[in-house]
Amino acid sequence: MATGKILAGFLAPHPPHLVYGENPPQNEPRSRGGWEPLRWAYERARQSIERLKPDVLLVHSPHWVTQVGHHFLGVPHLSGKSVDPIFPNLFRYNFDLTVDVELAEACCEEARAAGLVGKMMRNPKFRVDYGTITTLHMIRPQWDIPVVGLSANNSPYYLNMEDGLGEMATLGAATRRAIERSGRRAVLLASNTLCHWHFHEEPAIPEDMSREHPQSYDGYLWDMRIIELLRQGRTREVFELLPDFIREAFAEVKSGAFTWMFSAMGYPEMPGELHGYGTVIGTGNAVMEWDLTRVA
Amino acid sequence: MSLVAAFLVPGSPLPLLRPEVPVWAGLVAAHAQAAAALAEARPDVLILYSTQWLAVLDELWQTRPRVQGVHVDENWYEFGDLPFDLRVDTELAQACIEATPALGVRSKGVDYDGFPIDTGTIVASSFLDPAHRYPVVIAANNLYHDWQRTEALGALAAAQAARLGRRYAVIGIGGLSGTLFRHEIEPASDHIASTADDALNQQLLARLAAGDAPALRAFVADYAASARADMGMKHLAFVLGALGEAYRGATTLGYGPAYGSGAAVVRFTL
Ligand SMILES: [Fe+2]
Repeated sequence: MATGKILAGFLAPHPPHLVYGENPPQNEPRSRGGWEPLRWAYERARQSIERLKPDVLLVHSPHWVTQVGHHFLGVPHLSGKSVDPIFPNLFRYNFDLTVDVELAEACCEEARAAGLVGKMMRNPKFRVDYGTITTLHMIRPQWDIPVVGLSANNSPYYLNMEDGLGEMATLGAATRRAIERSGRRAVLLASNTLCHWHFHEEPAIPEDMSREHPQSYDGYLWDMRIIELLRQGRTREVFELLPDFIREAFAEVKSGAFTWMFSAMGYPEMPGELHGYGTVIGTGNAVMEWDLTRVA
Repeated sequence: MSLVAAFLVPGSPLPLLRPEVPVWAGLVAAHAQAAAALAEARPDVLILYSTQWLAVLDELWQTRPRVQGVHVDENWYEFGDLPFDLRVDTELAQACIEATPALGVRSKGVDYDGFPIDTGTIVASSFLDPAHRYPVVIAANNLYHDWQRTEALGALAAAQAARLGRRYAVIGIGGLSGTLFRHEIEPASDHIASTADDALNQQLLARLAAGDAPALRAFVADYAASARADMGMKHLAFVLGALGEAYRGATTLGYGPAYGSGAAVVRFTL
């Protein structure tokens, strides 16, 4: 078996509004579009997935929050209806996904070997969270690539940010080792919004783009600063700034997906490709790609 | 006064899913006592506020006439499934929704097939009303609402229930001290995470029993921080708001650990 490898990592945020704007058959509510620049950004990311042809997509989602350790979807097939508890008017999605249980188990074992608490989720009635589903739909709407789903342990919120994100870095390194020994060609998806200051009321027509704008100018400036550094491949600087960014922009990267992904990729100092940026109910979202096959 | 019963219950699924675990059996028995007291009170409706139903934008109220399904908790899935079948008093829920703008709070009804009913609501209703006899009103915990606003919402729900002539029970669903074990434990070895948390919980229960609302509020403000209390004890705020002048004490029917955190079943004296 050839050594597995990480082909690419994507910053792939999960506002359910993007699925709503697209009107796929799996989602019940209908829209008149909206958030096109971000949806076009995902179109570009979809082309990259088509070109990379990964064996598996791994996604770390802030909306599967676990308290006792880091959990992994561990049922070969999961289906059901996922309704977003915050935006049930926008996201009621019938999902049907295949899990790469072997790789998930390897990730869990490596996480345990690295001193983390790892758990396999074996309940077949489990309802997959909307963050995982939105990111997976936006990046690969065909649902024809097996997935590994990772929970977000609440350590960055519960312990303290530095120790919590340290755990996510350990989880990322463990994930990389599991991928290497699995022989899989993998793509990592960090399901995170950047600046997370949001509106407190939803516009009457959610997809009325005349109402969409950054909630916070300071938050917007932070997003631009981080994206610019990422575009220049100044990864180390981004991680030095990350605690301030999280505190001042209330950034969702606090939940760990971004750190997990970069740790797994070895914090490459390579320019990330920005597919697009846009706000959703005031929050800042970037779709970005780090194609590691280009440096190999 | 048509308030007929009021309780605090923990909302942890562990005692419900694993009632045979000795350390959780006390909470199971306490819920049974609460259920018996509730039946005796003959409520028309149960008004539920669960710390685990999180809202961010508006205050949310369940308005689907009947919600049923099987829920799997995102943390405790290995212990089993949580079937539920709830009938909603939509008239009362609607009245609450229409009344909240007076508090400066925008409310929305939630009427969607497959909407994720939270674990706490399911656990509390399964324990307290296993035969599905009473309709419910379910209010969300908006993360941006503080203690005062939550008390005001509890008072508002009670006032609307009274206005509609309901005999109503109010149930605040949430834990006490919030420190959970972060590693796997044998359920049989469960205990409150620290003696300090245990002592703080005991003090809270004593304050609840004493029936002095201002003193209780003052205590909770400190307790919430030092015991990392579940959502700042907003489930208690909701119940106190609903009780208003009727609050004069409470009895702890059961107290124990839920994976290190504090859990109690408390019956308010009416
Ligand atoms: Fe999110």
